[in-house]
Amino acid sequence: MPPKINAAFVEKVLVAFIRDEFGRCGCAKAVLGLSGGLDSAVSAALAARALGPARVLGLIMPYGRAFPEEVRDAAAVARRLGIRTKTIDIAPPIDLYFAAHPTASRVQRGNKMARERMSILYDHSAREGALVLGTSNKTELLIGYGTVYGDLACAINPVGDLYKTQMRELAAHLGLPAAVRRKAPTAGLWPGQTDEGDIGLPYEELDAILYDLVEGRKTRREAIRSGHAAAAVDRVLRMIERSGFKRALPPIAKLSIRSVGHDFLYPYDRSR
Amino acid sequence: MRITLAQIVPRLGDVEANVDAHLEVLEKARKEKSGLVVFPELGLTGYTLKDLVGEVALDPASDPRLRRIVARTKGLSAVVGFVEESPAEQGLFYNAAAFIADGRILHVHRKVFLPTGGLFEEAKIFAPGRDFRSFRTPFGRVGLLVCRDFLQLGSSYVHYAAGADMIVCVSAAPGRGVAGGGDAFETSRMWELMGEAVSYFSTAFVVYVNRAGSEDGVMFAGGSFIFAPGGRLVVRAAPVGPEIVSCRIDLSAVRTARRAWLFKRDEKPEAIWRSLERIVRASED
Repeated sequence: MPPKINAAFVEKVLVAFIRDEFGRCGCAKAVLGLSGGLDSAVSAALAARALGPARVLGLIMPYGRAFPEEVRDAAAVARRLGIRTKTIDIAPPIDLYFAAHPTASRVQRGNKMARERMSILYDHSAREGALVLGTSNKTELLIGYGTVYGDLACAINPVGDLYKTQMRELAAHLGLPAAVRRKAPTAGLWPGQTDEGDIGLPYEELDAILYDLVEGRKTRREAIRSGHAAAAVDRVLRMIERSGFKRALPPIAKLSIRSVGHDFLYPYDRSR
Repeated sequence: MRITLAQIVPRLGDVEANVDAHLEVLEKARKEKSGLVVFPELGLTGYTLKDLVGEVALDPASDPRLRRIVARTKGLSAVVGFVEESPAEQGLFYNAAAFIADGRILHVHRKVFLPTGGLFEEAKIFAPGRDFRSFRTPFGRVGLLVCRDFLQLGSSYVHYAAGADMIVCVSAAPGRGVAGGGDAFETSRMWELMGEAVSYFSTAFVVYVNRAGSEDGVMFAGGSFIFAPGGRLVVRAAPVGPEIVSCRIDLSAVRTARRAWLFKRDEKPEAIWRSLERIVRASED
């Protein structure tokens, strides 16, 4: 596993980061999707501490009645943090679309739902004058376990450099409900789905391999020699390689002397 | 003498606002009877400049914004970080720090070692400085370094060999590493350890001022400090977030340390010079 973090120090740094970013763009409010899972609960807790709970809106966006437990847990998180919530059922637009364009692929349906939710989040960003807060952790970002322009989309992401196992440490420090911290993580694309079932590795093992490859800069051979199963290392390497496009902006065909994305380079955070 | 460490959060790309913020700190320091105020690397511009570099560059000899700061140093000294572009070298930008005392710029140091690779891309936007030159100030001989300069072993040595009583390093060092559960970034420990070591090697004061705040997701790690000669920690600022700290130092500590530890007396720069010359010759193609 990655080394333990000092959760109190990490909290302090991330709260300062959120305040910096929001202060810079003159935006006092945050909106994020509350799935009932651990990652969105951690993001919401950090935002509540940085901005004040009244300035954080958690959108709970179930597909009909398919995930009653998730809705219950999301509401429990919001109550614990004292943040505002709004519940929006995404079944009507999703059903309308798939009635016209049917598919048998549950991944395709799940991705469409993730993008529906993000589209609602960005609409609420405009309605509320709020920034969309990201909830993707480092483990997901590295293996590409997320929907591009769906749950991966955001204005800023405070938790993208914390592995899942470190998110659990931070969640415990932040005093999030035990039910949220202990349950099996799920992307919620369909009932009964679990991350670890999809990925084929428990998070402890996955994070340990990622930590050795990324922070430790180990080669495949070195990672295996340090005790990881060869099949698991190969699986992780394949997931990292295949998901590179999810971690970069799309390439722009360069024609001119100075081009967006190549040599027209400005910081994201220029003071405004 | 009183020193003020200005661990501030510069506004990226906004020179006017940063000049105002510097003036505010200077005025407060003056009221506290501070003799030296040290601001961080690129304090007048922010760090992650990329193509903004040409918009924020200034000529220290003539720029009215920097003159406002210079004019407010009557009776005290300040170290100020900025992007330098001189009329003699138009289009060349230096990551620079000026030592200003009593209404006059005594020295401008151009960062020699520009970190480039991984997180850093300074050599993409800056031209490198080529010299380490210490200089006399109202309170002794000072050598200036900018951030990464300090991490290259030879830089402090040059100031030491030239007789610096104080090595001042201004910095915009990002915090990296939260493993292991410490209550600061892992890299902060590296800076402090090296500062402490240099204060032993040089029997001089080591004054380190890092910035705070974040830019494009990178958090600057603060943790500014002063070591008195011989590894004595005088003051340390917060590991995250802005803080202006000021404290007294006793300049006679240099003499005391050099009587106790004879490193400076026994130094042989000519032996180092001859050896380096041989090494440099041998490495030439």
